[in-house]
Amino acid sequence: MKVLSIAFNTFRENLRDKLLYNLLIFALLMIGSSLVLMRLTLGEFHRLILDIGLGSINFFGVLIAIFVGIGLVSKEIEKKTIYTIISKPVARFQFLLGKYVGLSLTLLINTAVMACGLLAVLSMQDVPIHAVLFKALIMIVVEFMVITAVALLFSTFSSATFSAIFTLALYVIGHLTPDLKAFGEKMGGVGKTILEGMYYILPNLDRFNLKGHVTHQLDVSTGDLLAIGAYGMAYTTFLLTLASIVFQRRDFR
Amino acid sequence: MSESPAFEIRPRVFAQPPSYVVSSVVALLVFGLLALIISLQQNLDRRIDSHVAKIEQLAQLPRAEFLKPALLGYHHLGADVLWLRLLQVLGKKKNTSDEYEWLYHALDVVTTLDPQYAYAYYVGGVVLTNDANRVDLSNRLLEKGHRENPGEWNLPFLLGHNHYFVLGDATKGADYIGKAARTSGAPDFLPGLATRMHAEAGNPEVALEFLEALWRENPDLVVREKLETRAKEVMIERDLRMLEQAISHYQKKYQAYPKTLMELVSTGYLPRIPEEPFGGSYELNFRTGQVTSSTHPTRLKVFRRDLESGM
Repeated sequence: MKVLSIAFNTFRENLRDKLLYNLLIFALLMIGSSLVLMRLTLGEFHRLILDIGLGSINFFGVLIAIFVGIGLVSKEIEKKTIYTIISKPVARFQFLLGKYVGLSLTLLINTAVMACGLLAVLSMQDVPIHAVLFKALIMIVVEFMVITAVALLFSTFSSATFSAIFTLALYVIGHLTPDLKAFGEKMGGVGKTILEGMYYILPNLDRFNLKGHVTHQLDVSTGDLLAIGAYGMAYTTFLLTLASIVFQRRDFR
Repeated sequence: MSESPAFEIRPRVFAQPPSYVVSSVVALLVFGLLALIISLQQNLDRRIDSHVAKIEQLAQLPRAEFLKPALLGYHHLGADVLWLRLLQVLGKKKNTSDEYEWLYHALDVVTTLDPQYAYAYYVGGVVLTNDANRVDLSNRLLEKGHRENPGEWNLPFLLGHNHYFVLGDATKGADYIGKAARTSGAPDFLPGLATRMHAEAGNPEVALEFLEALWRENPDLVVREKLETRAKEVMIERDLRMLEQAISHYQKKYQAYPKTLMELVSTGYLPRIPEEPFGGSYELNFRTGQVTSSTHPTRLKVFRRDLESGM
């Protein structure tokens, strides 16, 4: 399939870019923190390991999603390699989808390896592992998928630098949207409509954040998980559709 | 492959159906997805967000000393965001005493992040005194504000109010009003007010003048309403003093208390019986000679103390 072959190509390209070296940093961080912090902290050691582990999985992933995501299309255009693909019988949306799936695959594998590292440290330190940890990891991947789609959308019409700025901004905004709703409720009238509209249209990235649930061992029901997952998928589809529409109209010179 | 004009012509993906069908299908898809996102978002709102009042979050606010480094130099922006959240709490009709503690804490954080945020001190001072009845917290906040912003006249002005009316310390109150009067930009009536407050501590007329000044400086309707109530209470005190004075004159002459208040008018000790500002009436106990208001039977503490200490 065309999409898959582009996806695998993107994945291979990511590997060639030594993208997975971040795993090394992660491994060092995990080992280092478990060795050092174990001596420094008093009690609640599980918590530190979980927080550092999940936090860095999320952080590295977001960085990759943003900074590799913005280059997915713009790099091909700058290097003029896009001509060789567009001239083939490949629809543009297929090209975009392939690129997207490729990076998502990279992120998935990256996260999976990191998660294995985290699990290894946890089991070595005899930390009980709860199901909610896996739920949180899945949600982290869903967040990556949304952010990658945002980066891809921006990179279809803007330069790499601006795409990075826009995506980073949207990432920060995405974690603050509940404020928009709260302020809108107090405003009333037109202000309320505008703020609530923004609240519903902007991605609510805090929904995917279950890291706190893991630390405090609060379970998330399957229904909630499915609802959040469905939201993430719908948002990703929406962004990819927009990206396809923009990309379809674009001229390459 | 050579440069071909094929790139100039937009390659069509959906070649078969006419373009308007394609674009309307795409538009439908986009709007459909948007509707789906919104409905899913609403679903999540209902599902997950338990309605914890925002104010509880203020309780967990870290101290400003720890918050400031985390804000990476954006602490003014941080103060603004926090201030916005705080205002949502201030807007609530009634808060519990815990909530006012948190409110003070949050105000302390805001004003430590941005010590020059004079308005935050002022509003905080007004709310903590009038709504929360926590004059101690109000004074602590205002004194911090006065220390950091010696050029703001309304912070010592409010401190003066707290000491004069709430704590009943007329001298200290007058001192603060004096400080406010010496600040540049202070209104012209302040110096006169300060001297009279010193001279006639506990005089309801001076108090009324002070309240009127506060009323003028406060555009907030809720605060104004409270000030009006307080002014009416002071008016009762003024009227009661007038009545008591007339009664004591009457008693000296006739060796007995009048049977009704109207006797004071008929014997010429009073031109007329003053109207009770809350719409009630003044009642005379002809055995003890004491007058009370039907709406506010207890008298203002501030003035009582002055009365007892020989006025």
